[in-house]
Amino acid sequence: MIEVRKVSKTFGAFTALEDVSFRVEAGEVYGLLGENGAGKTTMMRMMATILKPTEGEIEVAGYSVRIEPDEVRRRIGILFGGDVGLYSRLTARENIAYFGSMYGMEKQAIGERIERLSQMFEMGAFLDRRVGPFSRGMKQKVAIARTLVHDPDVILLDEPTTGLDVTAANIFRRVIGRLQEEGKTILFSSHNMGEIDKLCKRIALIHKGRLQFAGALEQLRAQYGKEDLDELFMTVVEGSGR
Amino acid sequence: MRNTIIWAVFQKEMRDLFRDHKTWLGTFLIPLVLVPFVFFLMGSSYSSQEQEARAHVPIAVYGSSDLLKQLEAIPGVSFHQPSDPNQALQAGQLRAIVRIPDRFDERLEAGGTAQLHVEYDSTNQKSVYARDVIEERVMAYSKQIAAERLQAAGLSETAIEPIEAVYEQVASEEKRSGGMLAGIIPLMLVVSLASGGIAVANDLIAGERERGTLEALMSAPIPANQLLTAKLLTVMIMSCTSATASLVSLTLILHFGPIASQGFALSLFTPVTLLVLILTLLLLAAFFAGLELMLSMKAKSVKEGQTYMSAVIFLAMIPSYMLMPIHPVDIPQHYYMIPVFNGVSLAKEVFYGKIDPMHGVIGLGTSLLYVVLIIAWTARLFRREGVVVKP
Ligand SMILES: Nc1ncnc2c1ncn2[C@@H]1O[C@H](COP(=O)(O)OP(=O)(O)OP(=O)(O)O)[C@@H](O)[C@H]1O
Ligand SMILES: [Mg+2]
Repeated sequence: MIEVRKVSKTFGAFTALEDVSFRVEAGEVYGLLGENGAGKTTMMRMMATILKPTEGEIEVAGYSVRIEPDEVRRRIGILFGGDVGLYSRLTARENIAYFGSMYGMEKQAIGERIERLSQMFEMGAFLDRRVGPFSRGMKQKVAIARTLVHDPDVILLDEPTTGLDVTAANIFRRVIGRLQEEGKTILFSSHNMGEIDKLCKRIALIHKGRLQFAGALEQLRAQYGKEDLDELFMTVVEGSGR
Repeated sequence: MRNTIIWAVFQKEMRDLFRDHKTWLGTFLIPLVLVPFVFFLMGSSYSSQEQEARAHVPIAVYGSSDLLKQLEAIPGVSFHQPSDPNQALQAGQLRAIVRIPDRFDERLEAGGTAQLHVEYDSTNQKSVYARDVIEERVMAYSKQIAAERLQAAGLSETAIEPIEAVYEQVASEEKRSGGMLAGIIPLMLVVSLASGGIAVANDLIAGERERGTLEALMSAPIPANQLLTAKLLTVMIMSCTSATASLVSLTLILHFGPIASQGFALSLFTPVTLLVLILTLLLLAAFFAGLELMLSMKAKSVKEGQTYMSAVIFLAMIPSYMLMPIHPVDIPQHYYMIPVFNGVSLAKEVFYGKIDPMHGVIGLGTSLLYVVLIIAWTARLFRREGVVVKP
């Protein structure tokens, strides 16, 4: 479960997020929607305790990001958007195992976990190769496996399908489905309404740092009387007057 | 748990580094190859210049005298009569011009003083050498005539030489070889300690931040200072490797190279001086590592980091150069309290073979203090929000 209460974040004079509140229930796949620069990454960084909220409070799995950041860190796995960060001179296996050891996992447990993840993401062919020359999709798979190595309860995925081809994006969506079956709480950010619609029932829509809507997609459709997703998105954004 | 994280990070950094051939070349091979190379060039050009100066001494002599016999005896000498002797001297074809005035021998025989003119080029080391050997011969000839005159007057040579001074130098063999080494080695060591870590330090924070791995790492439940400790150790290892490489090549050079050494040997060290040297170098390595990691953190990008890093090399060079010509007894007391200066000063004392215990205590104590300060400061920066994310 993730609870965001009246959160603001400023960088110097610039306000990146203002008075944002929403709630992700345990076991839910929740969408965080917004255009470039809306504040999605900033929000996820605060949930991952990398940045501190300027105002307001965030609770992850029942722990405050301010008061008990280490408890939060133990329970989350985060995949940062954009170019995924991997150690290019290490193999895929070494990359994943390194993060496993950061969570205090034993060698054997890490080995077993990597086998499972490798099957899940079909990485067997390149598991023991250095990641430097990997394609975008291969790197993304390694990065997601790394995010999941310690089997976190709460999974934060910042634009995870950006740059993936159709096949890779499909594999990825299947994995999300399986994680949901395992009862994981998943927050998924994207600037693509169609993408969100395939996976999430409920969303938060942010525009230029302000929350425009939080709740069920169905409700949003009913509220604006529009079926077409892109049109719906544009209507909400234009209606914000920002 | 505590140590396993440090160990895991350290292990990963070293593995990553070992696979990065460029960095290894920089820290290990370059000092190992470049130091001897530079020395060899310097040394061989120096000794070949000197050999050339001795082997050929072309001079021009005008006028005649019995003195000529003396000059002919100079090894390697040859006599020339160029059309424009002054121009030939300027051009280096002649090393010296000797002008013997008319009635030179007559004047001497009459018991008077005769003048001799020697022209040379003080900017040319070979010409200076020629002047020296000519002077030697002329002095000997002059002395010989003086002895004859004294004898004729019924006096012995000792009559005009009441004092005979004998100069002996007291520095031991170790001290003398130390004197030379105390100039060069601290410079080499300190500069390679500083330069050995810069590529790694820049990569370990600014590089990881730019690639996004630092952010992922910091979202794991690991204390920032353990991550920092592991990175500090990695940088120190690279610094020390680079310093060791320079030291090894220097030692080889001094044994086999063209610069004659008066036996640089381990006998130079006592267990105490060796211990002080090792402690001094480790503390310097830790100081530079801390400083470099801090700059890596402050830098907004890897590129900016590289600029900062070159400043560290300057910081290392300034005290080394300033202290190079100074004898340890002339090093001002307060130098033993200034960062980097204290380490260089102590290293100098070690190579002179004698450490003032007070200097040892102050130098090592303040070094330790600066290491603690820089690491504490760096750790505090690391915990500050925003250091780990790309701006
Ligand atoms: N560390 C920072 N310092 C200053 N400004 C920042 C910082 N991080 C983000 N911002 C600013 O905050 C705003 C929101 O950025 P953020 O990266 O959260 O957006 P986003 O929704 O993830 O966008 P995108 O879809 O492009 O990834 C942007 O205008 C950005 O310039
Ligand atoms: Mg983003």
